Amino acid sequence: MPLDEETVRRIATRLEEGEAGVAARLRALEVYREQPLPRRSLHLWRYTDPAALMPDGLGPLPAEAGGAPGPVPGRPAAAVLLRPGEHPGIEGTLPAGVTVEPLDGGDPRLGRAVPEVRGPFEAMNRAAFDAGVLVRVAPGTAVEGPVWIRAASGGGAFLPRILVDVGEGATVTVVEEHVGGAGGFRIAVTEILAGPGARVEHVPIQRLDDGARGHLTVRTVADAGASVATSFVSLGGTLVKMDLGARLAGEGASSELLGFLLGGDGQRFDHHTVHRHEAPRGRSDIGFRTVLTGRSRSAYTGLIRIEQEARGVEAYQENRNLLLSKEARADTIPELEILNEDVQCTHGATVSPVDPDQAFYLESRGLDPVEAERLIVGGFLEPTLARVPGGVRELLEPVIAARLEALGAGR
Amino acid sequence: MTDRADVVFSCRDLHVFVEDREIVRGVDLEVRAGEKHAIMGPNGSGKSTLAAALMGHPAYRVEGVIELGGERVDGLPAHERARRGMFLGFQYPVAVPGVSVASFLRAAVSARRGEEVPIREFRKMLAEAFETLSIPKEFMGRSLNDGFSGGEKKRLEILQMLLLRPRFALLDEIDSGLDIDALKVVSEGIERAAGPEMGLLLVTHYQRILEYVRPDVVHVFMGGRIVRSGGPELALELEERGYDWLQPDAGPVEAAS
Repeated sequence: MPLDEETVRRIATRLEEGEAGVAARLRALEVYREQPLPRRSLHLWRYTDPAALMPDGLGPLPAEAGGAPGPVPGRPAAAVLLRPGEHPGIEGTLPAGVTVEPLDGGDPRLGRAVPEVRGPFEAMNRAAFDAGVLVRVAPGTAVEGPVWIRAASGGGAFLPRILVDVGEGATVTVVEEHVGGAGGFRIAVTEILAGPGARVEHVPIQRLDDGARGHLTVRTVADAGASVATSFVSLGGTLVKMDLGARLAGEGASSELLGFLLGGDGQRFDHHTVHRHEAPRGRSDIGFRTVLTGRSRSAYTGLIRIEQEARGVEAYQENRNLLLSKEARADTIPELEILNEDVQCTHGATVSPVDPDQAFYLESRGLDPVEAERLIVGGFLEPTLARVPGGVRELLEPVIAARLEALGAGR
Repeated sequence: MTDRADVVFSCRDLHVFVEDREIVRGVDLEVRAGEKHAIMGPNGSGKSTLAAALMGHPAYRVEGVIELGGERVDGLPAHERARRGMFLGFQYPVAVPGVSVASFLRAAVSARRGEEVPIREFRKMLAEAFETLSIPKEFMGRSLNDGFSGGEKKRLEILQMLLLRPRFALLDEIDSGLDIDALKVVSEGIERAAGPEMGLLLVTHYQRILEYVRPDVVHVFMGGRIVRSGGPELALELEERGYDWLQPDAGPVEAAS
């Protein structure tokens, strides 16, 4: 189906939304229609053709979403399953102060972190998201264990949307895991609103099937004194763009984005990160690492923007790319836009093969070159793995091990 | 002909090239089980190149014969030499961020043995070795050589030698950057690891460590060659007279032992 008024109404009806939802979606549809695809001359789209990520038709899809995705590991506070055209499946006994419920298209908070004018993918998702979940954490509430949201689909287009609203001084961890999607398109948007002094951990994990394409947008708005720690992992899909960032809207807010990608033959990844400092004395840090094998490719653009009124800010950005094959390629463009002088800011990027001195040191102890490389790569990924919540590491380790195993076999 | 059965390491007519430059220009060495040899030489004489080339560093082109326990190893990559019992203690041990000391050591010990070392046995070995080298237990969980002081790195090199039980160990300037207390600890570790079965080749610039680890044979290495070999008294002579009285082009002198 094309993305038109009828499709939007059908999705809203399927999700049992009221007139407010339909109206808001139709407004987003207008924005979508008025937005051309982004120009390739923009850094953000320099390495990826937006048309290649744009689905040619939309659901609602039959609910045969590519098999059961299996149980969530660890001890989540709640396990949420998002599938196209369905209300979220929610399991777990939530502590007082936390609610997890279907997200309604009319929710007035939608668009606060990711407005539909952000771009055509964001506008498309706002108009036509076909599964959504709202996580609310009341002020002062501390949630043990992650709220684990898994978005699963078969082929076709799937437009999941997540809204997390964390009250003043509350603490929560949200895992967002993308699976399935073979041959299809995943156009996802996640908005996180971190109230004053809130502490939020967010763990987006992209392990879509081979052949999947996707555009995933994540934005956090951090109020005064709020801290957000994002740990993102990109493993799957054939062509996936991930656009992550935070607005440090209140004084003393902080955001840390640590993540990695592990690219195998034929995969293309495009990552964008942005930290926008709008208030004084904020702190932000970005550390993105890529490991590329075969003919995989990674493009990274990162922006730190510090507004005039955001004095006393510390902001860091680093992108390191480890190329394990001669055919792999990484492009990296870190950018700074700093509008006042009272800041501490550094950024850096490297693209290199495995350090031969490290390899020789390990090999001189009896490790063969493949084992040595695996150990070095494992160490390279450790900063992100070291801080993901319980269950995530257990999920990722076998996936990573299998990837590195394949790497050795390919020699 | 002497009995060669107890020769743990030898090289004959060894030449080492970096690109087209010949750094090591014809070296013969023979180390027997239980023997300690020292190679002394001024800076820039090619000592470290010799040590790395013997271990199989891929950046060097090597001509000549290298044998470990009577078996030729010169065609083998570094990890195969290590598995057969050769060990190189690095002058500058390399940091590998994100790889814990314990997981690295377990992988190394397993590689040397040819089978996974059981975790309980490994923990016991590790605890003893850390005790011997006076390294705090917290280091087991730290990233390999990452942010370690010079002395900590050198202790960890000797700890690896203890755990890996080589037949022949090359220690490249293991004494550099050590204060006197660290030097004692490292020397005791070397003595403990070097039993009657192992051959040892200490590469050093200074005589100081040889007061703690007494060599049987001392070789003077200059201009890519061994220009003189003798007993421990040669080290003292070098300490007094420096290297200048030895002519690098005078050709090798027969070993005294």
